Amino acid sequence: MNLILGMDLGVFLAWIGTLLATVLCILYGLYYQFIKKSDEKRRISSSKEQDKKQEEDL
Amino acid sequence: MDIWFFIITMALFAAVFLFLGYLGYRKTKTAEDYFIAGGKMGPLIVAFSYGATFISAVALIGFSGIASIYGHSILWLAFLNIFVGIFIAFVVYGLRTRKMGLSLKAMTLPELLGRRFNSVKLQQTSGLIIGIFMVAYTSAVFLAIASLFQVTFGIPYWLCVVIFTLIVGIYLIIGGSYAVMWTHAVQAIVMLVGMIILTVGVYAMLGGIGPAHEAAAALTPEMLNSIGSPAATQAPNGLTSMPTFLSKPFMMVLTLIFGVGIGVLAQPQLITRYLTAKNNKALRLAVPYGGIFILLMTFTAFSIGPLCNVLMYRNNIMYPTMGSAGAIVANPDAVVPTIINDLFPAWFILIFLFAILAAAMSTAAALFQTAGAAIGRDVIEKSMKKQVTPEKSIFITRIATIAIMIATLIITLNPLDVVAYMTAFFFGLMACTFLAPYTLMLYWKKTNRLGAWIGMLGGFLFTIAWYILIYFKTAPKIIGTPLVGNYIINMLDPIFIGLPLSFLLTILFSSILKQDKEEKAIMQKTFESLSESDT
Repeated sequence: MNLILGMDLGVFLAWIGTLLATVLCILYGLYYQFIKKSDEKRRISSSKEQDKKQEEDL
Repeated sequence: MDIWFFIITMALFAAVFLFLGYLGYRKTKTAEDYFIAGGKMGPLIVAFSYGATFISAVALIGFSGIASIYGHSILWLAFLNIFVGIFIAFVVYGLRTRKMGLSLKAMTLPELLGRRFNSVKLQQTSGLIIGIFMVAYTSAVFLAIASLFQVTFGIPYWLCVVIFTLIVGIYLIIGGSYAVMWTHAVQAIVMLVGMIILTVGVYAMLGGIGPAHEAAAALTPEMLNSIGSPAATQAPNGLTSMPTFLSKPFMMVLTLIFGVGIGVLAQPQLITRYLTAKNNKALRLAVPYGGIFILLMTFTAFSIGPLCNVLMYRNNIMYPTMGSAGAIVANPDAVVPTIINDLFPAWFILIFLFAILAAAMSTAAALFQTAGAAIGRDVIEKSMKKQVTPEKSIFITRIATIAIMIATLIITLNPLDVVAYMTAFFFGLMACTFLAPYTLMLYWKKTNRLGAWIGMLGGFLFTIAWYILIYFKTAPKIIGTPLVGNYIINMLDPIFIGLPLSFLLTILFSSILKQDKEEKAIMQKTFESLSESDT
């Protein structure tokens, strides 16, 4: 039987799946800590730019 | 180990918790403070509190012992613990639960159900179910830890039980939720230190991940037999291979994985943690901390369990047993403590014992807190005709918590056989009773009072009947012989049938009757709060 890191396929999938699930949790946190925040900032700054443009147009 | 050294360290440990209890007491001004730490907790505390509540001493010692019998296939439970127990729990359930809890001003799961479905009786019944069965579950937690300390230090069992109950009880009753959350954070750190050293130590002794797993894979049934390990028969394909589909070991692993792995979503003591977060962003940011914490708890515990067989074989240590002559059986709960006692330095024995003690105390504190609130706030307070002031509400819950503690003490000092199975029992029971109405309440506008009642009671009664009449671990203790002899059926956790049944009943009866005006207005208000952006 072929073993990966000493484990059969079913066990290896559980092993790697556990690590990947943790990575998913970390990426989720990083997304909401950094990327989502900048999305919101971008939205705020673009709406400010729009307001400014409207004021200029007026 | 020197008993006096243990007593002094234990006293310091207790002093820290009691001090945190005092700080919690000073900070507690309102009912919100007492029940959900004012809803002011940041991501790290929420994650550590959730993790420390989730992971009990039974999960660390008991499940690593089980892994020593069934091998690394139990790692599927570690996967579910992180993917379902953290990611799905926080993202799919936690965020909506917190918003709905705020909108309904609910601080417990029964209160959430009662207010959403506009039914005091639903709240009281849920509170009663939680209160009663949590006492037995808490007994199981104390039973495991007191037995360990009795074996290691020779301290009388009754004295261990009384000391643990008193310490947890005092800081909980005085400091409320603040004390529980803060002590959880300290206990989580102790647990992390213990499990990291243990895992690194075991893998280092065996030469790293690959060599350790290869050494486990190379153990033949004959080798395992020579140390008296039950893995010789229970992991016939090897410790690092999946058991044969539908074989008895496969059914055992399957039932454990899903019973605990899915059951985690409906644990009232965990649901309360969502309500303590200061905002939804704190809940989102708790996800990575929680994921890493559970990885370092269950992934490590389940990984080293099977490797203990290799260490026992190489060091001529026999698999631990229990019972007297004529009825000696393998004792998986003693596998990790045996390895630590025989192969690790004395200083680590103390660290590990404190890690296990921290795991037991954190879970017990959350259980006492939730059971006390369930009986005090959800049952007794709701039976009173007059409106209760926040001060009186806290007082009633404190008295209920003391009553819960005394009941737990009595059961733990006179344990029935069935109490030992309460960990698996409790998770399945809570899931089959509450998960369907709780999930549908969060996501399906048409869920109504009748659906919630029938779904909840249907799942509850089915699970109790399954445990009494069919389940292979409990039925023989209660009725002698399970009604169904086929192991593929009687080894199934009730969650496989009880949970779909509960969902079906909730959906069916919610579809039959429409919500009344009052209930509809509450539903609309709560769903409006769900669509608001994160606050």
